[in-house]
Amino acid sequence: MGHIITIALKECKEILRERRFQWASVIVSILLIASTLLSFQYYKSVKQQYELAQDNARQKWLGQGERNPHSAAHFGTYAFKPRYPLSLIDSGIDKYAGVSIFLEAHSRNEAQYMAAQDQTGLSRFGDLTPDFILLFIIPLLIILLGFNSFTRERESGTLRLLKSQQVPFYALALGKWLGLFLLVLGLVLPLYGLAWLLLSNLSDYGQFNGGALTSLFGVYLLYFMVFINLTLLVSLLAKKSNVAFVSLLGIWMIACLVIPKFTTSLANQLHPYPTQSAFVENIKADKQAGLDGHAPWSEKAKQLEAETLEKYNVSSLEDLPFNWSGFLMQESEKADAEIYFKHYALLKNIYQEQTDVYQTAAALSPFLPTRFLSMAISRTDYHSHWNFADAAEKYRIELVGAMNGDLMENSRTGDWSYKGDEEVWASVPAFSYEPPTLSAIMPLHASNFLVLGFWLLATALGVLLATRQLTVV
Amino acid sequence: MFLNNLQHELATLGRDRWVFLVIALFFGLTFYALHNGAEMVAERQQAIDKEVQRMDSLETVRAEKILAIEENREAPPEDSWRDPRDLWDMSYNTPRVIAMQPQSLTLIATGQSDLFPHVVKPKLYEESYRLGFSELTNPVQLLFGTFDLAFVCIYLLPLLVLALSYNVLSSAKESGILPVIASQPVSLYGWLLQKLLIRFLLLSIIVSATILIGLGWQGVDLVDKLGSVSMLLGALLLYMAFWFGIAFVVNLLGKPSGTNAITLVALWLAFVLFIPAIITQTTTSLNPVPSRVNIIHEYREAYTEALNNMDKIMDTYLRDHPELAVRDTSQANRYGFMQRTFASAGVINAAVDPVLNDYNEALEKQQAQVDQMTILSPALLLQKVFNQTAGTTAAHYTDFRQQIIDFTETWKEYLKPRMFANELLASTDFTAFPRYEYSTERVSDNSGGLMLLLSVFVLIVGGLSFLVYRSRNWELVVN
Repeated sequence: MGHIITIALKECKEILRERRFQWASVIVSILLIASTLLSFQYYKSVKQQYELAQDNARQKWLGQGERNPHSAAHFGTYAFKPRYPLSLIDSGIDKYAGVSIFLEAHSRNEAQYMAAQDQTGLSRFGDLTPDFILLFIIPLLIILLGFNSFTRERESGTLRLLKSQQVPFYALALGKWLGLFLLVLGLVLPLYGLAWLLLSNLSDYGQFNGGALTSLFGVYLLYFMVFINLTLLVSLLAKKSNVAFVSLLGIWMIACLVIPKFTTSLANQLHPYPTQSAFVENIKADKQAGLDGHAPWSEKAKQLEAETLEKYNVSSLEDLPFNWSGFLMQESEKADAEIYFKHYALLKNIYQEQTDVYQTAAALSPFLPTRFLSMAISRTDYHSHWNFADAAEKYRIELVGAMNGDLMENSRTGDWSYKGDEEVWASVPAFSYEPPTLSAIMPLHASNFLVLGFWLLATALGVLLATRQLTVV
Repeated sequence: MFLNNLQHELATLGRDRWVFLVIALFFGLTFYALHNGAEMVAERQQAIDKEVQRMDSLETVRAEKILAIEENREAPPEDSWRDPRDLWDMSYNTPRVIAMQPQSLTLIATGQSDLFPHVVKPKLYEESYRLGFSELTNPVQLLFGTFDLAFVCIYLLPLLVLALSYNVLSSAKESGILPVIASQPVSLYGWLLQKLLIRFLLLSIIVSATILIGLGWQGVDLVDKLGSVSMLLGALLLYMAFWFGIAFVVNLLGKPSGTNAITLVALWLAFVLFIPAIITQTTTSLNPVPSRVNIIHEYREAYTEALNNMDKIMDTYLRDHPELAVRDTSQANRYGFMQRTFASAGVINAAVDPVLNDYNEALEKQQAQVDQMTILSPALLLQKVFNQTAGTTAAHYTDFRQQIIDFTETWKEYLKPRMFANELLASTDFTAFPRYEYSTERVSDNSGGLMLLLSVFVLIVGGLSFLVYRSRNWELVVN
């Protein structure tokens, strides 16, 4: 053990003295802090916009004036997707997903207005957010610091000296590993502290969960460990520093840039999403075959009419104890909701199949499980977006149902003069959305944890095996 | 000397297995990227064709039904809403298909094309289509981006260049032949320049040939697209020249191979990853465009206002458009709903347009700012050339959005007088319908200017190499 700590400290001291580390660490630290502060700024402004918009939407709904409740359901309202505090660290898919959903009678609408649509192609190079530094740059830094850990000893002949002093190579590897890890930890801990400080000072502290932030950093530390293992492994296997550096750079390129893009193209070819217009067309076709609340003359409506009259044992719609139009609207709403449910379930299925492709590809790149875990914990993954969209749909069904219900209960068939007022509009509480809790999310990502764990173990085993076969020449 | 050098380079490179591996890799990656691009284009074309065919067949069926009524083979349906001659029913159930056709070189760069729909069928009874459109996609795919030729050339090709050039001087020094070379009647500057120039020329030939063969393989008409393709290759060669220039400067610093490799990778990171990310993040954080969410609010405001004052709006509208007023008052107009919609559209748009225009102006300003920043990195300049050639820049989609709005206006202008005059559709009308044709005419292409800027980068590294050469004490470096 003594050996290991001595080696780790020597390793740290040596790297700390090196100009390339001094430069690189200063640059990375500046970028980390700058990116965190910039995202914090952005987070605050978006949050403000969100609150304003949500408030406006509610006011518009309440202040729409007196009208037929079904018209009010057509008038509709908006649900806005809140930003989760941890998006400060990983903004994930946020800029590629819409932020507002229009909630109206008869239609489930897609979230609109993704930020990326208002940016130029330049934005596709990525943003300088903390996740960019954590996912892409720190692994590179690890490579830069450690690529010659062993090749240097070999090239300068010190490996032979160490052998003659009977230092076990596994201890050497462990010491070097620890040295690298401590340095990386030294770089990342200030970010953790800064994030904690910024997040706990937010006004919506209630949403901030220290456990989530800690898990997020835990995931990144696992990721860094994998890269430290890979770096040491290649340095052990390579005969020359140059070869080690080029190979590690290749591994980084493939893991962080090529495989994610390659998998994306593959997932899209294997399980393509329908286009927006095809999707809408399919729903329209199903709806036309079903019940249309605005077409009381249609066959389906006539059939329902006959059934209802029989059920209530009356001869005309006017004799029903409720407003037939409201009832018909609500029945058609229910049928529509089922159609939407079916088509969105199909879509979710494709999304799940695409996710499976990514999960399979994760075996080829530790970047992928880390990326997905980081987004999930930050609630900026696609799953969180679906969760929001589903909550908005649930609210839409409730809202429209309440409006049709009011029309049905408080007016009689044929009475088109009935109008609801603010009291009716206020009977439906404002839309509020709470993202799923950390404990609800974690089980969904068991496979990502497994794959990341597999990477960690496999590379660690690789390092140990390589130290056994290490020869001094 | 140049010929000797050339001979020597060809011989050594020819013996180097790495070079062949690297070339094979580029060949494979290019072909895979082009294959991917072609798949995406085919998918897009298929979606467009499907919609257009659907519209055509719906029109044919409707025309036949109308003809049957016109020739008294069939009686018009009793319910007016079932009448195939109803203009509203036609506009609702046979909506116009507005499609953005892919260009023949779209396969080279995905650009912004994965963010937007390429087929749009705007509804006539509301105005929200003016606020924007989205495509149905998995945002994870947008986040990772696609594997296209632009990615291969912008990200990977520089690394290839660097791999071929990072240690030309240092390896000569490390193997001890540098003093021998220095004793020859050629300056070290000239010797290194020749060596790198030869590598540049070789790689240029390989890269150009690979891309040309790849494009030809994907069925691009190279003769027809000669101008765009040569512009693209020109920009790409300048980009490669820039990276060779960077390697030239770093070689001249006289450091060991390992240091050169690290320096060059750091520069690659700076130009390809850092500078673009910093530009995006600083502009979005420090100079944010007001969110589109605000426009929704304004739109709702105007919409409510219009709904509440519908009667008044209708009166004013008819006063402003006496040509649309009903002449035959004995019959109720069957398009009452659309009449009111047309009338209120003006009021809603008059209220929303100022906000929308303000927004678009702020956005344009921000995008222009970002655009100016592209001069900070050749990677950004090349990306722009690629996206412009492919027709997938943000500007193309902004313009398409405007074309949708314009065409929808044309379509409404066609229907409006007919609906106000309570007309029915005739079987011969379909051929006279306004048709949409996508055109890139209004999107300006400044590839020439971008190439000029790329040349400036090449000149800068050229000048820098000379300064570095002059400032070094070569006796110390050689020995």
